Amino acid sequence: MLEGLALLGDGVAHFLTWQSLFNVLWATLLGIIIGLLPGLTATMGVALLVTLTYPMSPDQAILSLMCIYVGAIYGGSRTAILLAIPGTPASAATTLDGNPLAMSGKGGLAMGLATTSSALGTLVGIVCLALLAPLLTEAALNFGSYEFFWLALFGVVISGRLTAFDDPIKGYVAGLLGLLVAMIGMEGLHGFRRFTFGMPALGGGIDLIPAMVGAFGLAEILVVMKRKVSARIFDASDRVVPRFKDVWKYRRTTVRSGVIGTFVGIVPGVGEDIGAWGSYAAAKRKSAEADRFGKGSLEGLIAAETGNSAAIPGSMIPTLTLALPGSAAAAVLIAAMYIHGIRPGPMLLVENAPFLYQVVAMLALATLAILVLGLALTRVLLRVMTVPRERLMPVVYVLCVVGSFAIAQRMFDVYVMLAFGIIGFFLREMRYPMAPLVMGIILGTLLDVNLRRGLALSNGDLTPFFTRPVSAVICGLVVLSILFSIPVIQRFVTRLFIKDRGPQSGGG
Amino acid sequence: MSHESSDPSAPPGAGGPVPDQPADGNGDGDGAHMVRADLLTGVILLVIGVAVAWASWEMPRLEVRRIHPATVPGLVPGLLGIALAICGAILAARSVRVAADGAGWRRFGATFLTTSAARVAATMVLALGYALVLVGWLPFWAASAAFVFAFIVLFERVFASSPHPLWRTVLTAGVQAIIVGVTVSVVFQTGFLVRLP
Repeated sequence: MLEGLALLGDGVAHFLTWQSLFNVLWATLLGIIIGLLPGLTATMGVALLVTLTYPMSPDQAILSLMCIYVGAIYGGSRTAILLAIPGTPASAATTLDGNPLAMSGKGGLAMGLATTSSALGTLVGIVCLALLAPLLTEAALNFGSYEFFWLALFGVVISGRLTAFDDPIKGYVAGLLGLLVAMIGMEGLHGFRRFTFGMPALGGGIDLIPAMVGAFGLAEILVVMKRKVSARIFDASDRVVPRFKDVWKYRRTTVRSGVIGTFVGIVPGVGEDIGAWGSYAAAKRKSAEADRFGKGSLEGLIAAETGNSAAIPGSMIPTLTLALPGSAAAAVLIAAMYIHGIRPGPMLLVENAPFLYQVVAMLALATLAILVLGLALTRVLLRVMTVPRERLMPVVYVLCVVGSFAIAQRMFDVYVMLAFGIIGFFLREMRYPMAPLVMGIILGTLLDVNLRRGLALSNGDLTPFFTRPVSAVICGLVVLSILFSIPVIQRFVTRLFIKDRGPQSGGG
Repeated sequence: MSHESSDPSAPPGAGGPVPDQPADGNGDGDGAHMVRADLLTGVILLVIGVAVAWASWEMPRLEVRRIHPATVPGLVPGLLGIALAICGAILAARSVRVAADGAGWRRFGATFLTTSAARVAATMVLALGYALVLVGWLPFWAASAAFVFAFIVLFERVFASSPHPLWRTVLTAGVQAIIVGVTVSVVFQTGFLVRLP
């Protein structure tokens, strides 16, 4: 514990240089701008910026990317409040109460509370990260191939189950497609080239970054350009900096939402958007003013914004300790860490213990930055929001092309970006979630290698996959989440438990 | 996107083959045309799944290198292919059971003839034309400038409900196009030392 505190102190001290503070400032501001522009998401921002951080030192690069991530998730709230459309999917729940507040002339208050809630949410998450990550690492050091196979499968399945809009099977399909993409190229056990169709460029597999720039960049541009009319901005001329009593009054909601958001963040591939919805639903259930929810409730706004921001440090917990991305943006961060020679996973705390605490410090600095920038730059940010999409989207697309090209300096990656962009757009239009696809791409190798290595170790025997305690537990979770997405079983279980209320309440 | 409120041929209540349709209606994406889109993708996924499984089965088993037979390279892709085929089959079978009339196909076809579809198609053509043709044919800054210019003019003139005067759009779009083209090229080439295509 004391050692942890000392390392944390070192982590903060490490970034108290002018260069770091400068990086925090521009990266967070850029993140906020990315977040508040509809069509630019945190995942895309991080993916595009990986290129720009290429020449930086590893710690500064990850610092900048982390600030973009935190900034973007927060920035989306501004658009949700003033424009009634979420700037990023993470702010969808914020729209419900944020926009009614803006309509009733309390846009400033809503923006202010969204800022403090985001900051407090991240803080709750940071505390959990600092406390839980070392514990999880200790457990994970005992994991073998069997456990990692199940973890990888669990990541894809749970992400598919929870991020699917209304139909779990579409989540699973997205996950399977991602896993199949990961199968392309040289496999890790025997060096055999799979599905390369004689193309040398496919030998190294599909890189995650260009794929993400396509699926979250080009696809999103297509979605944005599809809409016929732009939204109207609501005026917000009231006081922005919230009063302390407003923040204090909802302290219980803040802490509860922060904890829920963090734990949703820990679930692999399930990120900020679900964190916000989860906290929002819990707050509504517990609230004394539940009927105000959706009509401009401060509590609802606080719950949503705390929940989505807390999911960021939460998602970093499995990302750092298991190399299992806690969200789509965290998957891109893993790719960026590999580029910079940092290997996340159970060995991180052994090989590079200060880095874990540096991440904690990064998140703390980003939080400070959103607090300062968010409250100080209201007018400037309002102007950014009015940039018409016809003017913005072509520029973003040029950056998508450069960004995917620049990583390996080959046109092949641009084609990958195009393919993922166009296929991603159609999948999205048909309501397939994108997060499981990302999880599949990044976890495919882990799943493949560990399944076969496990089988080789047990001489082809499947039993260790089911009898080792941790394996059995994760296996049970995987089976349960798949079973529960089958409607017949879902109805049967619902009927079993809620007998007296009748079978009408199909859970979702 | 204005489809009738409910599908008359969908069986109501219990036993409905479309599960998890939230009663609060979270969006305009569901409906007869989505059911048809699901049928189509279901069949495509089924075909892909079977093809992948077949290709994995045919994949070399590396017997010469005496690897453990449980670690053949085709194992995991084969399992994934089977799983994808199952998902595709379920998706397709479920949509076949819903809405047997022709309205679904008509509406599915109609979604490709809307203004929204035209906007998407225009964006796609511009995006592909830029990345596949212009880049590599023109210097990068010029290619980018041409793309940005074409994009802005197209969407501000052709697709806009109340367009600005032509000279204004052309002038401002031209200025923005050149600024973007030159800035991106200079920043990436001198700032990040990227050799542009």
